Amino acid sequence: MPADSVPMPGESIETPTVVAPPEKHVGVGGAMTGAVPWIDKAGVVGGVFRGIRSLFSGMGVTVGYLMRPSTVVTQEYPENRETLKLPDRFRAQLAFNHDDKGYHKCTMCRICEEACPNVSIIITGREKPAVSKKELDSFVWRLDSCTFCNTCVIVCPFGVLRFDGTFESSVYDRRLLSYTLNRYAGPVASVLEKMEDPEARKAAMDPRDPYSGAAVIAALIEKQKATKVSQRAAREAARAARIAAKAAAAAAPATPPEAKDVG
Amino acid sequence: MSWQVKSIAERTGDLLPGSPWTAVLYVLLTILAVTAFVTVAGLVLIYAERKIAAHFQCRVGPMRVGWHGVLQSIADAIKLLMKEDIVPRDADALLHILAPVLSFAGMLLVMIALPMSPTVQVSDMNIGVLYVTAVSGLGVLGILLGGWSSNNKWSLLGAMRAGAQIISYEVSATLALLVVVLFAGTLQLSGIVQSQETGWWIWRAHGCGIVAFAIFLIAGTAEINRTPFDLAEGESELTAGFHTEYSGLRFSFFFLSEFLNMFVLAAMASTLFFGGWMPLHIGHFAGFNGIMDLLPPGLWFTLKTTAMIFLIMWFRWTFPRLRVDQLMRLEWKILLPIGFVNLFVSAACVVTGFYFFAQ
Repeated sequence: MPADSVPMPGESIETPTVVAPPEKHVGVGGAMTGAVPWIDKAGVVGGVFRGIRSLFSGMGVTVGYLMRPSTVVTQEYPENRETLKLPDRFRAQLAFNHDDKGYHKCTMCRICEEACPNVSIIITGREKPAVSKKELDSFVWRLDSCTFCNTCVIVCPFGVLRFDGTFESSVYDRRLLSYTLNRYAGPVASVLEKMEDPEARKAAMDPRDPYSGAAVIAALIEKQKATKVSQRAAREAARAARIAAKAAAAAAPATPPEAKDVG
Repeated sequence: MSWQVKSIAERTGDLLPGSPWTAVLYVLLTILAVTAFVTVAGLVLIYAERKIAAHFQCRVGPMRVGWHGVLQSIADAIKLLMKEDIVPRDADALLHILAPVLSFAGMLLVMIALPMSPTVQVSDMNIGVLYVTAVSGLGVLGILLGGWSSNNKWSLLGAMRAGAQIISYEVSATLALLVVVLFAGTLQLSGIVQSQETGWWIWRAHGCGIVAFAIFLIAGTAEINRTPFDLAEGESELTAGFHTEYSGLRFSFFFLSEFLNMFVLAAMASTLFFGGWMPLHIGHFAGFNGIMDLLPPGLWFTLKTTAMIFLIMWFRWTFPRLRVDQLMRLEWKILLPIGFVNLFVSAACVVTGFYFFAQ
């Protein structure tokens, strides 16, 4: 009978016979000896000497690092700014992939916006698209709330986004930490490529300033406020209408209460 | 070559009958010198620890304040002095204030017995070893009080661990000390140093010295609460152990006494097992001994102590921390029996005169 099985109602509730583990010597490491097979194999004295030897080999490793300054991995940043090398996968800032001509492939599908866990991506569309049905106006990324989880880069179906190593992003005003990532508002690269006339192409594109993110967000907030104000006005109008209707109903001869009882 | 051994206390005593005010001045200067030494040594040790630790871990350590960060310790000291001194609301205020002082006092009192050279020793007691063992126990009191009075469970746990650990390892350390006392035949620290004129006890005692040294080093490292025995302040388990609730100057007292205790341990180890300020001598091999005597004794002491400190730092940055039960097993089941056997064997050696260069 396994030790952990619950006794059935009919069974005796005696302690089940557990097969005691074979008696083991307790050497250095004591309680651990059962779990570490090589200590058992070496025996007590062997275990002690093995342990001491491993201590010395550890000291050899550390003194090796101490003696060879070439093993130092520290990068002293402001001094080595010219030669600083960051790993390829370093995530410092979200960036848009623009091609050689400066076009991007963002179709404004908003998958990244949906995927972002803390609303660090805010996408606005152009109110009057020049060519397509939908056109990107501003892709705003908030560095101040981003957790660098990389999800937006993974979910983007067109490979528009990437994280790059531009890490010197300190500013004196936190509003400047909302970046507009796209360089222009307008259609995607494939649409622009098809347009023959360079003038028309130019007309379809509207340049965007990287630091205009705060303005975009402020405009959005204003818009929401305006919506709220109008909604409130509508609600109040409705309420007034209800009150007026009630007053009208009270003024009019009401249905006799007996009729209600019968109903 | 005979050494003119005279402690500062003795010299003051000589001055006393003729010119008592000079003696008073002498005492004041000594106090100043000891305080200055403690402070400077603490700053140097902290800088050394940070630098050595960094290079053990493929880092560079402090680099910005001064050339290669040499002034970093001073900057840190100034910062600590500027910090707000906090006594927690529910703490036992008196004991909370007293604890770092006691801890520091224990270290400082040991400092006056260390023979740094034939003439640089504040007081040369004839019970030097006993005094050092007894007084260094004050440090435990400081740690225990600090943990208790903070009214913080981590502090209390850390302090209790430290208390159990220090008291346990005190036994083994003392057994190891006794081996040297047996061979030297004296408790006086300068006497122990002079007994090593024909060679250091670590190799003259047919292995007993090496075993005693190993036990002393392990037990001593445990007594000063350094890795691999830093359970009292294991930051991953107890935030900072007994000094969690300390800040500013009081914290720096704990910190300083911790580092100076390392110095005391290194100095004791080099005094007892490596001849202290005594140059490296081999028996009555006069030519070799003469060459070794060219270096002044104070330099020998410094070199040996520095080497010991480096060894302790090396331990700290290599070995992983022990668990509490492993710690106690190491002491009571391994070090203590070995220490007893070693003591018996060395007693037999002393009785039969069976060691190198016995008179």
